[in-house]
Amino acid sequence: MALVELRGVSKSFRKGEETIQPLDQVDLDIEAGEFISLMGPSGTGKSTLLNLVSGIDRPDSGTIIVAGTEVTKLNRSQLADWRAANLGYIFQTHNLIPVLTAYENVELPTLLLKLTSAQRRERVALALEAVGLSDRANHYPRQLSGGQEQRVGIARAIVAHPKIVVADEPTGSLDAATSQQVQVLLQRLNRELNITMLLVTHDSDVASIASRQLMLDRGRFLEPAPGESTC
Amino acid sequence: MLLPIEYGVRNLARRPVRTALTLFALATVVLLVLIVVGFIQGLERSLADSGDPKVVLVYSVNSETNIENSSIAARTPALLTASLHGTVKRFGITHVSPELYLGTRVTSEAGDGGLGLVRGVTTTAPLVRRTVRLMDGNWPAAGEVIVGRLVAAKLGYKEPSLAIGKSIEFEGRRWLISGRFVADGAAYESEIWCRLEDFQTATRRQDLSLVAMLLAPNSSPAELELFCKQRVDLELGAMRETDYYASLQQHYRPVRLLAWLVVGLVSAAGVFAGLNMMYGAVAGRVRELATLRTIGYRRRAILFSLIQEGVLLAAASSLLSGAIALALFNGLAVRFTMGAFTLRIDSVTILIGCGVGLLLGVVGAVPPALKALRTEIAVALKAI
Repeated sequence: MALVELRGVSKSFRKGEETIQPLDQVDLDIEAGEFISLMGPSGTGKSTLLNLVSGIDRPDSGTIIVAGTEVTKLNRSQLADWRAANLGYIFQTHNLIPVLTAYENVELPTLLLKLTSAQRRERVALALEAVGLSDRANHYPRQLSGGQEQRVGIARAIVAHPKIVVADEPTGSLDAATSQQVQVLLQRLNRELNITMLLVTHDSDVASIASRQLMLDRGRFLEPAPGESTC
Repeated sequence: MLLPIEYGVRNLARRPVRTALTLFALATVVLLVLIVVGFIQGLERSLADSGDPKVVLVYSVNSETNIENSSIAARTPALLTASLHGTVKRFGITHVSPELYLGTRVTSEAGDGGLGLVRGVTTTAPLVRRTVRLMDGNWPAAGEVIVGRLVAAKLGYKEPSLAIGKSIEFEGRRWLISGRFVADGAAYESEIWCRLEDFQTATRRQDLSLVAMLLAPNSSPAELELFCKQRVDLELGAMRETDYYASLQQHYRPVRLLAWLVVGLVSAAGVFAGLNMMYGAVAGRVRELATLRTIGYRRRAILFSLIQEGVLLAAASSLLSGAIALALFNGLAVRFTMGAFTLRIDSVTILIGCGVGLLLGVVGAVPPALKALRTEIAVALKAI
């Protein structure tokens, strides 16, 4: 059984008089440990798909099962608990909490888990070490560079040992050199820690680091069918 | 699971100017609440402390309990003590205080004038008015007066004008101040006391306003009331002193209601200050709050954290206001028609003031927080 299973997932939005359908009867399987990149023109439903898999949005129809849980059946509070235990989210703009230090930002997801303070400290230290920022633990986001902020964001996404990490344009706001560092880091985390990743990007170079690349267009995956790479 | 407290505390320092302005606004509101509640407390306490349940006042039934308008015959005390046996008597002295009481214009040496309350008394007065204590100086001799602790406030004078050795003028005579007295916050503290016969001479009156009688422990005012009803020729009425001041409290009920209305209105203004601050604080953090929800924090955890911020600020404002009120306003004398009283910033006042402050924090935080948390996460993450 795949780690993530999407079956017949559709989603539409009302925009004034117009109805937009970014996803139309989408099927997708993601195996544990896979690194999938999702590409496509703007407005084709990449981020919508990412949000549905993350449980921060709901489909109009279809089912989404992640790590054995049908997330489409969970209520708002259950979804919050599910996200805390199963999901890591890397944002395009880092979205660090400005009043908390790098350490405290990374610690946030662990506060939702049943861990002792020693276990929590150990996890945060390991996550910061994994992104190479142990020496910046006590720095506030404003004291970090863009690349460092994104690495803290990545540490925050992996610290709770989630079943899947989703990344929405994680290099979108970085310069080329920093973007390259982040790509290498994501690839390393997937390979060394066997973290399942779903990455949304506009950039074909960034998409190429994934083991499987998918292309969305007008609400549907372009051929080949789910389970196979389009590139 | 709740967000760490540091999140709330540090968020307050995020917009220091806005936070400082809100702190100032909330502190002003809480201070105003403390002053108004202190006013109510002071007024109520002054009237409550003025009554002694064992003292009965005998007055003219025609005065309708307005003691200033009461006029009874000078022989009334002798008549009462001869006819009734329920009055305290120690060392051959019956604890009955004949008094002449009226409001009159009082002028200081400096020429300041004001409406004062003067009570002509005998040496038995302190035996009946048991809270009265001479704190400085001597009991008045002929042509002398003693002044209560709040007389200066009542007259609008500066304290030195009423120092011992200074003189004041009323009823066409000059009176030397021989002493100062206190009465545990009772209404007498805003009165000037002189010898009864001097006051009668000065006012060219032979009558009395009232007779105050201290009842023995096993006596009841019913006997006195019955006597007054039977002797209709004397046209006397009797009333416990506590009942008299309770009736005055009823008289001031509209004032108290108005004061509570002020508390309500001032608090409502405070809610807007809190709302303004929290709307500003939350509006700039929509994406941040959505991030916390994406991580897995429930809406109620975030709501609690935002309320925490509001309450922290309100608590700081309340503490600041409490300190200012205690330092500057506690004990401040306030003039009113029947004397003066002091603002009482006591534990009840502080409790009400801080309670209002904390309520402002909660009420100010909830609507903006709910507004921010109602937005879907996916939409909120795109907020600027």
